[in-house]
Amino acid sequence: MSSPLIWVVLPILAGFGLWFLRKRYATMALAASLFCLLLALLAWVAPIGTAARLGPLSIEINPTLEFAGRRLVLDASSRTILIYIYVLCAFWFAGSVAAGANRLLIPFGLGITGLLVGALAVEPFLYAALLVEMAVLLAVPIFAPPGKWFGQGVLRFLIFQTLAMPFILLAGWALAGVEANPTNTTLVTLSTVFLGLGFAFWLAVFPFYTWIPLLAEQSYPYISGFFFLLLSTVTLLLGLNFLDRFGWLRALPNLYPVIGQVGALMIVTAGLWAAFQQNLSRLFGYGVIVETGFSLLAISLSNSLGLDLFASMFVPRMIMLGLWALSLSVLLQRVGSTRFEDARGMVQKLPFASAGLAMASLSLAGLPLLAVFPIRQVLMEEVARQSLSSALWALIGTVGMLYSTFRALVILAREPSVRLEAQEMEPEPALPSAATSPTPARSFLESPVQVVLLLIGISGLLFIGLFPRAFLPITAGLINRFTQLP
Amino acid sequence: MPAQLMEQLPLIAMVVLVITTLFLLLSQNWQLNILALAVQFLAVFALTTLVWPFGLAAVKLVAGWMAGAVLGASQPDPALVEDPQAVGSATFIFRLLVAVLVWVLVLTSTTVITEILPLPFPLITGAMLLIGMGLIHLGMTTRPLRVLLGLLTTLSGFELLYAAVENSVLVAGLLAMVTLGLALVGAYLLDALPGEPSGDTEEGSA
Repeated sequence: MSSPLIWVVLPILAGFGLWFLRKRYATMALAASLFCLLLALLAWVAPIGTAARLGPLSIEINPTLEFAGRRLVLDASSRTILIYIYVLCAFWFAGSVAAGANRLLIPFGLGITGLLVGALAVEPFLYAALLVEMAVLLAVPIFAPPGKWFGQGVLRFLIFQTLAMPFILLAGWALAGVEANPTNTTLVTLSTVFLGLGFAFWLAVFPFYTWIPLLAEQSYPYISGFFFLLLSTVTLLLGLNFLDRFGWLRALPNLYPVIGQVGALMIVTAGLWAAFQQNLSRLFGYGVIVETGFSLLAISLSNSLGLDLFASMFVPRMIMLGLWALSLSVLLQRVGSTRFEDARGMVQKLPFASAGLAMASLSLAGLPLLAVFPIRQVLMEEVARQSLSSALWALIGTVGMLYSTFRALVILAREPSVRLEAQEMEPEPALPSAATSPTPARSFLESPVQVVLLLIGISGLLFIGLFPRAFLPITAGLINRFTQLP
Repeated sequence: MPAQLMEQLPLIAMVVLVITTLFLLLSQNWQLNILALAVQFLAVFALTTLVWPFGLAAVKLVAGWMAGAVLGASQPDPALVEDPQAVGSATFIFRLLVAVLVWVLVLTSTTVITEILPLPFPLITGAMLLIGMGLIHLGMTTRPLRVLLGLLTTLSGFELLYAAVENSVLVAGLLAMVTLGLALVGAYLLDALPGEPSGDTEEGSA
């Protein structure tokens, strides 16, 4: 028994097996959630690389799986990453029925998760590019389910993610050459350029991020949120892997300032574009870009505080994006659209989804007392010490996000337009659940399960914001495997 | 004569790549495009044999032809032979001029790249041509089939470059899987429902 077999191969097989349960959505969601929780629990307690006695039995999980001369390695330092990823999956799959996500999310989602964990585990690392590409190909059917319209977002997503693969492969070749001959400056330059371009495509760095808001608008929010969160998590960790592995890369004089400037650029452009949006789903997409930008800012600090802040962002990000995706999904279910003009006045009919949307987007904007504020405050102070211009640009982007959030809240709270002239009022659009619900009419349209999930998310953001020291160090172990980083 | 032909094979392959990439950019007939893709992969195979054993290079050819077959089999209706968004003469001329620009760029940059990567000239030229024309193709289209053709063209250019620096069997196999995966995704998207969004929500509403 080896750890890659449990946390890479088994999820892929489970996804394949759960495919046959797809007609029983609730059963499939429950089975998938329990399976992921079990994997997370195993990651917490299982003896990886050490022998443990269970009565007469001695159990040891081998951290390495060899395949065709290559290895998948998940040792004890990977525990926190595995727990985080599979807890994320468990909660996301558990909420998928209430969110109304397509039932392909679960079998394909498990396969994608297995491949992305494999990308983190594989050695040599160049195979990570191929595994991530396979995960991208698996993601297409969940973004464009059978029988549903799909837009340009899916195609653009496919193009940009596929273009990342050859750059990472070529970077792998160049990095091997630099290791053999460190004085070859041409190879050093080539490897930096290839690596930079590869990660620019993977992380959707400006200007390669146009697919994110497009895909967020054109696909189901709960599904796009799952993939955005998982992909950004894994690719950021892969980036840290590269920095950890190659000392000469860390020693490049301008590397960290460039990473910081790129992060600031992502934040300011996404924040400013968000201020002009007319669609709540596109705001969500820009929010994802801003979050990635702040992660890059944290990495650019090139010290232990930066890494701690980077790791601390994971739990609030998961709750924030999960709440945001769920709120948008509920809105889309009940209203049929996430455009501003169609969401007008939804606070009255969908108060919990509106509250969830508000809390998530305000949290991302860094409002005090919410989950992200403690991290954001320390991060901005440190960034300002090292580069005032990056901090100012990040602040401008944050103001843009805040402005877009307030615009959205005004729209949600505003009554349908009232004509001053004496004209007949336009009838309100009939909402399917309001018209057909046989139960006694509620004053709101969310189902009880949706209300519970939304309240859990809102409470989570509030608790983390009020008691950060209790929650934020949970993911400190995420950076344990990066032994060479400061 | 056969020996002379074998010596000229890389040059012939380069010329074939110029023709096929230009054809893929300009033609709106999907049947001829699939045929051009197949011929393109044949040329890629010929160039790959410069640096790989024959058997290993054949993997690229087989994967490419299978990808073309999958895309060709997924077309819904013989009546749709011509793309409904057929281009006019102005667009045709524009694309031709852009292709010429790409050729000039490739020819001028190949000498620089040869200094960095000491590889056979036809191989580098062929790879850069595929990458350049593929990227142009991707930037000029929004139709799923043409996007997939552009992606396959670009990737085959990168694979040609990568073949010169890495001859691992596993990598070759995985790249072939990616090529086939792209073709399958393309077939899936071609079979999906076209048209405008209806604003319908997903199934399984709570």
